[in-house]
Amino acid sequence: MKLIETDVLVIGAGPAGSSAAKHAARGGADVLMIDRKSEIGSPKRCAEGVSKEGLKKLGIEPSPRWIAKELSNVRLVAPDGTDVKLNEETVKLPEAGYILERKVFDKHMAMDAAREGAKIMVKTLAKDLKREDDSLVVTAERMGETFQIKAKIVIGADGPESRIGRFAGLKTAAKPKNMESAAQFEMGGVELEDPNSLEFYFGSVAPGGYAWIFPKGEDIANVGLGVLATETDKSAYQHLMEFVENCPATRNAQAVELNVGGDPVGGMNKKLVTDNLLVVGDAAGHVNPLTGGGINTALEAGLYAGEVAAAAVKEGDFSKKRLEEYQKLCEENIGKSFDKYLKAKEYLLSLSDEELDEVAKAFQNVKLDNINTKELIKLLVKVSPKALVKLGKIF
Amino acid sequence: MKKISEWCMYCGECAGVCPRSLIEVHETDLIFNEENCKDCKLCIQVCPVHALIKEE
Ligand SMILES: Cc1cc2nc3c(=O)[nH]c(=O)nc-3n(C[C@H](O)[C@H](O)[C@H](O)COP(=O)(O)OP(=O)(O)OC[C@H]3O[C@@H](n4cnc5c(N)ncnc54)[C@H](O)[C@@H]3O)c2cc1C
Ligand code: SF4
Ligand code: SF4
Repeated sequence: MKLIETDVLVIGAGPAGSSAAKHAARGGADVLMIDRKSEIGSPKRCAEGVSKEGLKKLGIEPSPRWIAKELSNVRLVAPDGTDVKLNEETVKLPEAGYILERKVFDKHMAMDAAREGAKIMVKTLAKDLKREDDSLVVTAERMGETFQIKAKIVIGADGPESRIGRFAGLKTAAKPKNMESAAQFEMGGVELEDPNSLEFYFGSVAPGGYAWIFPKGEDIANVGLGVLATETDKSAYQHLMEFVENCPATRNAQAVELNVGGDPVGGMNKKLVTDNLLVVGDAAGHVNPLTGGGINTALEAGLYAGEVAAAAVKEGDFSKKRLEEYQKLCEENIGKSFDKYLKAKEYLLSLSDEELDEVAKAFQNVKLDNINTKELIKLLVKVSPKALVKLGKIF
Repeated sequence: MKKISEWCMYCGECAGVCPRSLIEVHETDLIFNEENCKDCKLCIQVCPVHALIKEE
């Protein structure tokens, strides 16, 4: 059987994999990145919202080729239609900034990795992984040919499937209560109240999650929702059909694309490394548990993974102990912030439709520019003593 | 045995929750290692389009 040797093998060419490949190659390692898809970035599994700040922090220059829209407002909608409007000046919004064209963005990120020297193979599936001396050997399949890739370090960036880490003994499988089932239409003819506003709909429209409308143009938007299969017997797709039929903005809109997929929202995995292997992106739980957004964190974690892998290659030490530097970087810069989002999510999901309506109504009468946490809690208490009990458990 | 419906979109969510890691996702195919399947049905449950159907 044919054997390819490389320092670093990256499996999966999403944002996590491409970022890891780019930074590992920049650090001087021989890098090969494979993806089973025939077209990187397609089909998309994403509402395409990304933080402007986040991209800037990573030194990614925005390009008109992959930015569909820039927006700065947020509209939160309660089950009875009461809405709360926020903008960037009043609150820091984790996933607001750009709406991407991910099919272009993902390819662009992969090409960036190639520019740093990474090799890429598309339509190449990783099927298995075994340990051999101080390296890992992956069995891969491409266009009917089976071959092996021997790598000093494997970076598992295989998204919500997260099988690569499991091949090496990491517990990366998500429990159904931590895995959103998502379905989305990209639609034209959407009657948007404000095309510069991300819209979030809460309550029983999407049990265990929320519904969203992310505008990509004046009347174009990603319209989708995520549900927890543990909270509903209907499929995400059935919930989406109902939402689109009932929402005033989408009643007359037409779908041009259907996207489905899983989004792991249980927080960051406890273990991200083992000997010769690291996991990154969705495969590592690098997804904001409140919003389900994982692009920025995948790119950021990819940078840490790539840099640590390159340094380890230079030192000739691929042990778990050496790679734990990556684990620490992720814990400090990503995992910590997730804990508070996880709590906020638990609170939000604990509210009934009626409670959500009450909370939204109370917010109608306050000026949001000068609200602090204490006032916020006072407000929530006034709205619903029941909600307070739930809140008490969280804070 | 699980029947994969024609409308499966190969998103891989089923593979992500399978506690035994038995589902191999190809670009337009799913391969189940049914031999080791414990019939927990988690894969069927999470599918966003309910594309998996259990067959006796
Ligand atoms: C409906 C939906 C909406 C979302 N909306 C947003 C949003 O608005 N903003 C946001 O920030 N995030 C959003 N997310 C989450 C976001 O899409 C992910 O967090 C992000 O794509 C993670 O990147 P990744 O590189 O880890 O994985 P992915 O982008 O999933 O890439 C993994 C890659 O690995 C490949 N692969 C898998 N297994 C193998 C194998 N064995 N061999 C070879 N290749 C393999 C796959 O083909 C894929 O290309 C959304 C998710 C869903 C499902
Ligand atoms: S979760 Fe459903 S749509 Fe996605 S790959 Fe599995 S069976 Fe197909
Ligand atoms: S029924 Fe359970 S064990 Fe069998 S394939 Fe599905 S998730 Fe895996």
